[in-house]
Amino acid sequence: VLQRDAFIEQIKNRLETDKDIYFLSADFGAAALDSLREKYPENFIHCGISEQAMIDVATGLALQGKKVFCYAMAPFISLRAIEQIKCGPSMMNLPVAIMSVGIGIGYADAGPTHYITEDFACMRSIINLNMYTVSDASSSRRLANKLLNNPELCYVRFDRHEQPELPVTSRYENLDYRLMGDVVDDTKVLLIGSGKMAHTINDVCKKVDAAVGVELIQAKPFPNKLLDLMDACSGIIVVDEQTPCGSLGAAVLEAMSESNIYKKTKILTLPEEYLFENGGREYLLNKHGLSRDNIIKMLNKYF
Amino acid sequence: MIMDLQKQANLYRKELFEKFVELGQGHPGSTFSMLDIVTTLYHGDHFNFDEDKVIISKGHATVALYPILKHFGIIPNDDWDNWGKNKNTCLRIFGNISIPGIDMTSGSLGHGVGVGAGMAIANPRSHIYTIISEGELYEGSTWEALLFVAHHQIKNMTILIDVNNLIILGRTDDCLRLNSIKDKLSGFEFDLSVIDGHNTDAIKEALNETAYRPKIIIANTIKGKGFSLMENKPEWHYMQAITPEQIEQCRKEINRVTA
Repeated sequence: VLQRDAFIEQIKNRLETDKDIYFLSADFGAAALDSLREKYPENFIHCGISEQAMIDVATGLALQGKKVFCYAMAPFISLRAIEQIKCGPSMMNLPVAIMSVGIGIGYADAGPTHYITEDFACMRSIINLNMYTVSDASSSRRLANKLLNNPELCYVRFDRHEQPELPVTSRYENLDYRLMGDVVDDTKVLLIGSGKMAHTINDVCKKVDAAVGVELIQAKPFPNKLLDLMDACSGIIVVDEQTPCGSLGAAVLEAMSESNIYKKTKILTLPEEYLFENGGREYLLNKHGLSRDNIIKMLNKYF
Repeated sequence: MIMDLQKQANLYRKELFEKFVELGQGHPGSTFSMLDIVTTLYHGDHFNFDEDKVIISKGHATVALYPILKHFGIIPNDDWDNWGKNKNTCLRIFGNISIPGIDMTSGSLGHGVGVGAGMAIANPRSHIYTIISEGELYEGSTWEALLFVAHHQIKNMTILIDVNNLIILGRTDDCLRLNSIKDKLSGFEFDLSVIDGHNTDAIKEALNETAYRPKIIIANTIKGKGFSLMENKPEWHYMQAITPEQIEQCRKEINRVTA
């Protein structure tokens, strides 16, 4: 199941009892959305290929007490509409969920207009906004229900492709982060990533005893509990399918600085360049060091 | 007693002029150009304070509402009196939703039509009045939202366009031509009217006119209306340094129409 379908399915289910929910799309689809708009046409609004107007309309709906979900491809709903997000739901602190599909280089073959390697940095800078990245359908489903129960201004990042289920651990219930590995102590290196990178980290943890993986689901606000693990480990590797500036590594370093935690930290990201090369996502991730084998190499080299 | 709306608008102009002098900042040109519109809107019998909303998309002119909202007891007198004197006031140059009676935080151009559309959909019982400047027709998001309003035929919404022909660097016709705004909008499914935006009878009539489609009122106005020092002078978009003689002249002019 695609993460977006799992999420939208929950919204559709909730619409049966809650007609204050509105789902807005800037001409982006999903199988589950076809079903939602057929069953609840009054609660689905097609905004045209107009991400900026979509966020403004969402702001107006939310100002009148509605629970709003906005949905589009990641590069357009984030960077194109960022000023609307700032001046609307952010400045007035309104519960609008911004659903962003195709993070990282999920659309590698379409090229840099369609993939997004800056949304983490840009959207994390938006005041009053919480940020989540889901890695599988189960967490997507759970996050949808959390947001339906307690609407908030948030930016939810979905992968374009279906991803396998990550192991279910106790922390996973909280939807802030998921621990993949044993107890964290000063013999362990913490590997932090989200989205597709959480799966790569999980693969590393299966091969390297000294590695403990963290899937960071909620990047903002940064989970306080995770700081304890960061303090306890011997070092940290952050893996992020974004360009370097303001990426997940920056969020981790900010959190460490705030809490006076000083650990050896290595940040692995995509390069600061637009990738026009063919070969697909896996090839490009591998080429730029965001692969299981390169993470293991970095772990052995620096820790 | 029937209120003389023209005179009432000028009384608000007088109050606002003194406040601009006191503040030494603000946007008098844009505020005075739309003052007759908002005076007529709030004092008109069509306006329902319990349900209806007013969006000042040209957020730099939100101050035009403050004396009106004070008149209706929505903004406390103390907040008005303290504004410019000390920090014990909720009022600001740009409106925000923490100010009583202000329905949208604004300031950045090009948001009001979309936000108004969302509000109108959310509450079909209410009527949403969105006031934009013609300068906002330079923003692509305004056209995105106009397409949206037209397609969804959002009839509980009126868009008033304050056309004062000036932007910061000069005339719109010289900077980047917008005219004819009516021709551009006539391709949409709106009920369009063009009025003198300083004639309160014309404004009232346009607001009251039954619309069968979403309504757009193109209001031709004069930037800085009411003060010869400011009228049609692009620099008076912002409050300028003003001499005691100029203040006296402005007071004379406004007193003449408020006596």
